[in-house]
Amino acid sequence: MAEQLALGGFGVVLLERGRWQKFSETRHDELRSQRTTVLGNAFGPDDQHDVRLAQMADGSFQKVLPSEGAYNNIAACVGGGTFSYGAMAWRYMERDFRMRSVYGAPEGSTLEDWPISYQDLEPFYTKAEWGIGVSGKAGANPFESPRQKPYPMPPLPFNREASVLAAAAKRIGLHAFPIPMAINSVPYQGRPACIGCPHCVGFACEVNAKNSTAVTTIPRAIATKLCELRTGCVASRISMQAGNKAAAVEYFQDGKLYEQPCRAVVVSCSATESPRLLFNSATNLFPQGLGNNNGWVGRNLQGHAYSGASGIFEKDLFDGLGPAARVACCDFNHGLPNGLKGGAMLANEFICLPYLYARSVPPQVPRWGIQHKRFVRENYKRTVGVKGPVQEMPVFECRVELAPDLKDNWGIPSLRISGHRHPHDVEVGKFIAAKAEEWLKEAGAVTTWKSLPGRGVSGGQHQAGTCRMGSDPKTSVVDRNCRIHDLDNVYVVDGSVHVNNGGFNPSLTIQAIAYWASAHMLKELRGA
Amino acid sequence: MGKLVVVNRREFLIAAALPLYAAGPLQTFSGEEARLVEALCDQVIPADDSPGAKQAGVLYYIDRQLAGPLQRFEPAYHGGLSNLRRECQDRTGRDFADLPFLEQTKFLEGIEAGRAEKLISFWRLVIDHTMQGFYGSPANGGNRDAASWDMLGIRDVMGGHSH
Repeated sequence: MAEQLALGGFGVVLLERGRWQKFSETRHDELRSQRTTVLGNAFGPDDQHDVRLAQMADGSFQKVLPSEGAYNNIAACVGGGTFSYGAMAWRYMERDFRMRSVYGAPEGSTLEDWPISYQDLEPFYTKAEWGIGVSGKAGANPFESPRQKPYPMPPLPFNREASVLAAAAKRIGLHAFPIPMAINSVPYQGRPACIGCPHCVGFACEVNAKNSTAVTTIPRAIATKLCELRTGCVASRISMQAGNKAAAVEYFQDGKLYEQPCRAVVVSCSATESPRLLFNSATNLFPQGLGNNNGWVGRNLQGHAYSGASGIFEKDLFDGLGPAARVACCDFNHGLPNGLKGGAMLANEFICLPYLYARSVPPQVPRWGIQHKRFVRENYKRTVGVKGPVQEMPVFECRVELAPDLKDNWGIPSLRISGHRHPHDVEVGKFIAAKAEEWLKEAGAVTTWKSLPGRGVSGGQHQAGTCRMGSDPKTSVVDRNCRIHDLDNVYVVDGSVHVNNGGFNPSLTIQAIAYWASAHMLKELRGA
Repeated sequence: MGKLVVVNRREFLIAAALPLYAAGPLQTFSGEEARLVEALCDQVIPADDSPGAKQAGVLYYIDRQLAGPLQRFEPAYHGGLSNLRRECQDRTGRDFADLPFLEQTKFLEGIEAGRAEKLISFWRLVIDHTMQGFYGSPANGGNRDAASWDMLGIRDVMGGHSH
């Protein structure tokens, strides 16, 4: 957004609660990586300044810190989640935008069609792929919806396990292809190609071959001299003029409260924090929070119901070549049997680092002791995981809302998270896990075990849905251009606007929507 | 009533300095606690052809992190260790750390079988922290000489890039 608005000639102030981070600060410490944050979030927010309430299995709420899973954190640094993400760069499929029309909503779900189509978004997917930099092979995925332009870079080559899986896929009629990744396979935009290190997902890239917004769009925005990035700035409130117009954003920097006047506000804080800012900006006209007069802000929190299987092979397939995730198939994104709605792409996993591996042994292996140690030693290099992000059925009761009597370090009211994933997701998960297991067995796995989603509230790194995009203000928060219904100049642009979250990692779709929304915003700003 | 012990300044300073335990100074545990933690860690990852948790210095990972990012678990350790010590005395008449290895294992299996409800969550915490200290980066105080990465044959891969 900042890049497009600044390139369009408008002055932009980018308020980032985190700071610029360098690889040298965090390096390759698994225990601080974004996947295993046991010693804290390397990329923020830290455990000293933020807190939320999360609903436990018995329905009660408990305080959780940002480094704990139930907090559902998204990194807080320049580049946000993209600074340390795995960087799969998927387009959703045509049918992902028409889920209700294709399948009908299951009972207890608010499943709906998007107000925009894949065709609407297609040129902006292309913009994102070329602007951010995606490596991949156009045409290799027969299920992909039509694209106008190929990827700007060839795909990363298969590693050992991807080659074995791709050959097996062919034998059982699956259509395997290289995963599109926002990682340079060749030098691109002045940054080098990936060096194949094993520390990819969850880490900063040591050579800047991973295409976060911190190394692409944000520096380009700043280079226009029209965009000022202010780090360490925690937005606390959008202040409104009389009527439906935002006048300024209030934020804390170094403990002091500041106000930045503005013509328009773009809220891009994640599907948990964006609703929080709207709640905390309540006025007399919007007593439940901006855009929330119909009670939809913070609702339909979703992520992905990850499902799949792991398999042990007779030979070592581990070659240490990151990001190990290199092969996928989209045979099970749609058209599943037994009335199952949606589905998931299946891909081999990123390199599972030793601590995480030790904590995810199959159920029949003891959790500790000599047998556990032997299992880890004998199988670490022979284990392959295939998993998929099962598209979730949105549930109105899955939500974020303000927590009563809980504030962060700046005195800003905090969130609480509650709800249960739809049972249908678990059914799709079972199907997807069985398919992953079949694929692994065909590839030569001698022992396999499944991983299935539970019924807890979903969100995590793929959090989405809490400021739904829609045509009807009664059942959505923003319009098709990401502007909050009833407000003249406040936009939400992040995963919050997703009506549903596809069977794919969502980052490229979020970026495509940012390009889409900025095109609209530029028109509005110029017309005004 | 406890006995009043009068110490001079020099004795006090010595007592206040960090206790030393085997391979290094401790920040969180007393020497007695350290001995017990080390025995527990070695049950989680025993030595065989390759080093176990004790040789890999997992105790020092836990001790150091409890004074840092894992500080919120410190009370659970002090309480858990004293409960475990008492439970073991009650059941076996001996200190856990003095029991033969296999009897220690049996005692811990007993905890898992539900024989000491209040110790289960503490034992799970020790298991998790031991895995972190053994398999995580040596920079955090455990995994001495990258013992676990050698065991897995991934030292080059893990350390081959600037760490």
